[in-house]
This record gives sequence, C-alpha cells and structure tokens, in this order.
Amino acid sequence: MKHLAKVKNKIGQYILVIFVTLTINFALPRLAPGDPLLYFFGETTINELTAEQKQEALHSLGLGGSLWEQYWTYLKGVFTLDFGTSIKYGVAVTEVLAERIPWTLLLVGTALILSLVIGVSAGAYSAWNRGKKRDLTILTGMLTLESIPGFWIGMMFLSIFAVQLGWFPTFGAVSMVQDGTTWGYIKDVVSHAILPVLTITLATVGSNYLLTRSSMLESLGQDYMTVAEAKGIKKRALVFKHALRNALLPIYTHFTLSVGTLLGGAVVIETVYSYPGIGRLLYESVTARDFPMLQGVFLLVTMGVILANLIADLTYPLFDPRVRNRKEEKGEEITHA
Amino acid sequence: MRKTTKWIGLTGLVLFSAMLIFAIFGPMMIPYDAYKASGPPFQSPNLEHLLGTNDMGQDLLAELAVGARTSLFIGIASAILAVFIGGLIGVLAGYIGGRFETVVLRIIDIVLTLPFLPLMIVVAVYMGAGIFTLVFVITLVMWAGKARQIRAQTLSIKHTGPVLAAKTMGASHFYIFYKHIIPGVVPIFIPQFVTGVNAAILMESSLSFLGMGDPLTKSWGSILFYANSRSAFLTEAWMWWIIPPGVCIVIVVLAFSLMGYYLEERFNPRLGDYSVREKRKKQLVKTKEHHSSKGVLLSVESLTVAYPKSGDYRSVVDDISFAVKNGEVLGIVGESGSGKSTIATAIIQQLKRPAKESGEIYFEGNLVQHFDDEGLRQMRGKEIGYIAQAAMNALNPVIRIDKQLQEAIRAHYQLSAKVMDERVVEVLQKVGLDEKWRFAYPHELSGGMKQRVIIAMALINKPKLVIADEPTTGLDAIVQVEIVQLLRKLQKELGISMIYISHDLPSVLSVTDRLMIMKEGRKVDEGPSVELSKLSTNPYTRVLIDSIPTLYPKKETVEVSR
Repeated sequence: MKHLAKVKNKIGQYILVIFVTLTINFALPRLAPGDPLLYFFGETTINELTAEQKQEALHSLGLGGSLWEQYWTYLKGVFTLDFGTSIKYGVAVTEVLAERIPWTLLLVGTALILSLVIGVSAGAYSAWNRGKKRDLTILTGMLTLESIPGFWIGMMFLSIFAVQLGWFPTFGAVSMVQDGTTWGYIKDVVSHAILPVLTITLATVGSNYLLTRSSMLESLGQDYMTVAEAKGIKKRALVFKHALRNALLPIYTHFTLSVGTLLGGAVVIETVYSYPGIGRLLYESVTARDFPMLQGVFLLVTMGVILANLIADLTYPLFDPRVRNRKEEKGEEITHA
Repeated sequence: MRKTTKWIGLTGLVLFSAMLIFAIFGPMMIPYDAYKASGPPFQSPNLEHLLGTNDMGQDLLAELAVGARTSLFIGIASAILAVFIGGLIGVLAGYIGGRFETVVLRIIDIVLTLPFLPLMIVVAVYMGAGIFTLVFVITLVMWAGKARQIRAQTLSIKHTGPVLAAKTMGASHFYIFYKHIIPGVVPIFIPQFVTGVNAAILMESSLSFLGMGDPLTKSWGSILFYANSRSAFLTEAWMWWIIPPGVCIVIVVLAFSLMGYYLEERFNPRLGDYSVREKRKKQLVKTKEHHSSKGVLLSVESLTVAYPKSGDYRSVVDDISFAVKNGEVLGIVGESGSGKSTIATAIIQQLKRPAKESGEIYFEGNLVQHFDDEGLRQMRGKEIGYIAQAAMNALNPVIRIDKQLQEAIRAHYQLSAKVMDERVVEVLQKVGLDEKWRFAYPHELSGGMKQRVIIAMALINKPKLVIADEPTTGLDAIVQVEIVQLLRKLQKELGISMIYISHDLPSVLSVTDRLMIMKEGRKVDEGPSVELSKLSTNPYTRVLIDSIPTLYPKKETVEVSR
C-alpha cells in the first residue's frame, strides 16, 4: 500500500545518505589544505619518510592515480569492510570499533529506555493536567533540563558523586583490578555505568517529555475523546487506551530515530566519563589525529542512524493500523448494509 | 493563560538582556585580562577575584565575560546564517517548485538524516579549530531544518487567494515575491531564529568542550573543555571553575526557549481544547432535589453557557429551558453556531474548558451538576447515550471496532468475553451492519458504516435517553436518509427518549415529536413538530419551514436536501 511505497522511496534515500557519508570521508582529506598523508600518518611519521616512501604510501592508501581511480579503490575497500588501519592503535579500524560498540550500546540502550519511560509518563500526566500548577511545574522543570548541556550535567555529577563523595568510580567502564567473580564483574560494570546512564537520561528526557505532552494534547482534543468519555469509561482507560495510544505514534518514530543519533550524541558524555564507547573513540581520534579511525566512526554512526530509521519505517505499521496491509480481504465496502 | 504566556516571554527577554549586557560591558568592567595570569593559581573567591582563578592564575570572572562574547557571537551568528540560507532556499524551493524543489528536498532529507554531531566534528577537524569553523559547521547542520519549515510556509502562502489572483492578473514574480511571499514568510523567520540561537549555543558548547573551538579565544564551552582536560575536579577550585559557565549556558538557552515558547503561542496558538473538566466544585448550593414531575425524564432549566471572549463572557446558550418526557423525541433545530451542540455537551457535563455554565439540568429528577465524577461516569453511556456527529474522527482510529463497543459495555457491566461478543454482534445487527465488521478498524469503514457503529455504541447499554448531535453531517444524501430512518426505527423499538439535534429541518420533522427552534443561543419557538411546521407564526420558524425545497408532508418519499 501507500506505506510500502513510502518505505521503498526512503530506502533510496538511505542509500544516498550512505553514499554522501562515504563521499565526505573520501573528499575531506583530499580537499583539506596541506599534505593528505598528514591526515593519515600524523606529523612525526611524515617527517621521517623519504620521498620514495611517501610515493609508496600514497599508493597503498589509494591516494595515487586519478581521482576516479582513487574513489573506486576507496569504495571497494569500504564494501570489503576494510576501513584502513588506525594510526593510534595500529590495528584495523573495524577491530577497534567492534571492541567499543557494546559499551555504547549498554549506555545508550539503558538510558534511552529510562528516558522514554520517564518522559512519556511525565508528558502524559502533564497533558492530562494541562494548565494546572503541576503541569506548569513539570513543564518548567523539563524546559530547564532541556537547556542544560549534557556534558555539564556529567561534569557536575562526576565532581559531586564520584570525586567529592566517592560513591562511584571516576572513569572507564570496568576497573583495572577484578576480583575474578562474575557477580563482582557485573557490579563493577553497573557502578561504572550508573552516572553516564543517568546523565544521558537527563539530557534526553526533556525532548521525550515535550513531544509526549504536545502529542497528548493533540489527541485529547480529538472527537473520539469526547465520544469515549461519553461512553462512561474510566479516566485511566481514557488516558491510556485512547489518548496515549494515539499519542504514542509520533513518540515511537522519535524514539527509534533517537537511537541512531544518540550513538553519535553520546560522544560528549562518554568523553566526560572517559567511557570506552564509540563516542569517546570519536573524541580520541580527533585529539590523536587518527583520521582513518575518525572516518570509520563517522561511517558506523551513520549506518546506525540509517538502521534505526529503517526499523522505524518497517515496524510503524505494527502500531498504526491505518498503514497496515491487510492480508484477508474484508469483502467490498457495503455502504448500504 | 495568555497572561502566563506573556510572563514567560518577558522572563526570557530579561534573562537574555542580562547576559547580553554582561557580554558587552563585562570585559570592560572587570579589571583583569582573561588571557593573562592575574593571581595565584586555584585562588578561591575573594574580593579581588570574585570567582577565584584557574590553574594558570587567570581570573575566572574575566574568562566568563570574555566567553560570553564568544558564545553569544557564535550562537547568534550561526542562527542568523542558518535562517538566512535556509530561508532563501526554502522560499525558492516552495515558490519555484518542480524538479528544483525535489532536489532541494532530497538534500534537506540527507542533511537531516546524517548524525549531526559527528558530522560537525569530522568537518571541523579538517577545517581546523576556530570560531569561523564553528559558525560554519553549525550553519551546515542547521540550515536544512529551517529550509524545510520555511518552504512549508511558502507553499501555504503560494496557494492563497490573493497570490493566485495576482498571478491570474499577470503580476510579475518580483511583484508577488515582494508583495505576498516576503511579508508572509518573514514573520516565521523570527521564531525560527530564536530556536536557532537556542540550538546553536548548545552545539557551540558541545563542540568547544570537545576542543573544536579557537584555542586562542575563550568561550563558555572551551572554559569547560580546559576544566575537564586539566582535571579541575580534583582541585578545590572545581566549583568556581565549572558551575558558572554551565549556569551561563543554561540561562541563555533557557532565555531563548522561553522567548521561543512565547512566539510559538503568539503566532501559532494551539487551537481546540479538550473536554476534561476541572475537579467538580459544588457551586450550585440551593437546589430542589427530586424535582420530577411525572413522566419527565430530563428537564433543563434556564441553562446558560458562556465562553470568555476579549475579557468578557459571551453566551453561546442563553437561558434555555426545556423538558423531555419518557419515550419522547425532541428536535433541536438551528443554524450552526446557534448553541445546539453546546446543549448536548452540557447535559452530559462534557463542556470544554473554559466554558462557564449556569442553570440546572435534572435527569430523572436529580441535578446532574451535583453528581461527582463517578456519578457522571455512571450516567454517561449507561443512562444517556451520545451519538456524535458523523465526523471523520468520532471513532478511535487505532482501536478495533469490537474493542470500542466492548469497552462501552465494560464501563458499566461485568460480563464474560463471550457474552460481550454476543452483545456486540447483536447490536451491530440491530444497526444493520454485518457482524464481520467488528474485526475491522475505523478507517476500513465508509462514513455511513462508521455512523452505524457510533449509533450502536450509544445504544449498546440500552440507555433511557439518547442525544443525537447532527448524526447525519458529512454523509451523502442517501445514507443520510438511511441513518435517519434507522434512528427512528430503533427509537420506536426500544421506546427510548431522544434529543435529535440538526440544522436539517426535513429530517428532524420526520423523526421528532416536538421541536425547539434556536437562534444565536436563544430559543425562538417550540411546539409539537407537526403543528409547528404548519401553524407557527414565528417569522424565523417560517423562514426555515418555507425554505424546504420540496413539499414535505409524505415522510417516506422525502427528497432530502443537503
């Protein structure tokens, strides 16, 4: 039906986005001023190279030959999952990425769910009590929360709860020293994750709240709410079954999309907590001028966003019967039954 | 409500002005150079250094003031650029249309799909750290959203009457642009700009915090960057180093959020309210309980409903009294806006805020205004059924028909799933719908079928009174007749009382026993339907009766006009 055609159209767009990302990765080191080798090896190494070695390096990096040849070699590399070698770590970019992904997923996944649950409940509550004092109180609080940069919340938490009070570790995802038990390991991981998860939750809960509130207000104003109320159903069913069920549609889309953006957005918070996820890796590659790594992270995060988009598109019909494809035919529409 | 909005906007303006003054005059007033050591490192706040010093002995307050300039400059400059570029592209795309628009929309989609923070970082790294890099990358990710919204606005203006008229008269593009498009689009530039500054300042702080800022210029974000990378946490000075820049960012961003909220409400007020009432207050004290004359089911006494309008209240229902007897069908007729529907919602106590109601409504001798929430809930759907307008939206679009019907039963009776399903099938048959439709969603039904479902829903608990509020609006002529006939049949069969509200006099005459004519919230005429249609001397009633295009009396061969 219509929805399917829309998804097909979108897939075309996603392919285009990946293509654009690849092109950005390809073009930036070549467009940027100075020696492109600089971006791949760093200054110290470059100064030690002879002219011949440089020539060789150019070729091995796919920087020799015409631009089209270079582009072709580059694309071939990407499709065989060869993103090059990390300058900082000296191993394949993909290897470093694989090591970091689980940590980011742990942080972002937990935080997203928390933020969704809190944001949606608060938003629904607020909308139901629109204009009352408690609505305005929550609204002001959430707007303020929305105005606080996530990394600053992180710095404050770190100073207060980790450094001053010593309740939590100050950096990393696991301690250097382990007691060897599984239970001990889990406790260690959790204690490292609590502050970052809390920070990401606080940094994202505002947008979930605001979206829920406005989308609830929208559905509360609909005719079907008047009709449902006139049936005499209870307040709870009115809020949850009728209003929230409809309001959830845009929230669901927003949620799946934020999964993707958060992969990249966690960069500042992971940096604050020195948490070894994808975001921190991006920051490290910047400071270490590890350009192959930087490109790899950028590509990975883009893929994450696109994957999230695709999941949102494909699963949306589960939540909205109007775009669902009905398998069984219900017979022709009988107007004058 | 409106007053609160104004206050919110004003608060935002004050906060922003304070920060602006700090940014402009701060560096002049503070006697220290933010880039030079002016005291011992990690100095705690004292009279000389109000916020203390950092690890290099630089005055923190001086840093903050210099940082304000940088952060505000970057935020405002990138917002202006993004709105300007996005605006230009959006207006052109909307106005020109065609292939150009398609290409632009595609580009916008791509930019919006790319993860913005990594994109900014990657581009900034190659460009080299600096203020203009920051402005560039923020603009780069921000223009697209602006362009999309401004394009939408352009489109809506492009298709308005005046523009189309100007086009037909051969106006030049320049003229249309200058006279119509620009004045129509520019007002939304302002809220776009405000939300833009908001986002830009947050982005600037994040990027500077990651070390993308100009290493030689301080901004709030870069102060925090240095605090973080030089482990400010471990020192005594952390509070004075970390808190002030954060608070400044929050204040500015909040200021722009508040101003944005104000502008949004002002230019784009949310229409429509919902019908959830305030907790009931017992405002009517002296009442005659058990006010029931024999055979009267519902009696409404001097009901007045008013809505606030420009500081005053305007009555939409003005001192209306009427009664409905057992088994009787009362028609309420009037133009749209005459207050008919308001009476319906007043009876079931579902008036929308901020309506003000006075007068008394007695159902079976009990004053409904005295019912508590639970009492009202039990009355609705069980004692009084409500048939809404056959508008598109009266059924919940995401819930299956049978669930919506069952829910109406479950609100008042506890029955097994099987019995409930039987009830649903039975009532669907009664309204002439095949039982298979109970597994459908509302969008799969035609307008007439949806209206049958709504009727079934109102009748499912065999109420004593049914209020049908324009039950045939929006349906085509043949279906209208069918619905009217169905209602009449069911009313006779079940012996229920009914209030039938419509602006369509012929259909009302065919259903009702008695008739009430309304105009501008007032009752102008009342009487038995047949009598009224033939004998009324009221001029307004006559106008209505005489405007029925065909001779009416034979009910079965009615030609219903729309």
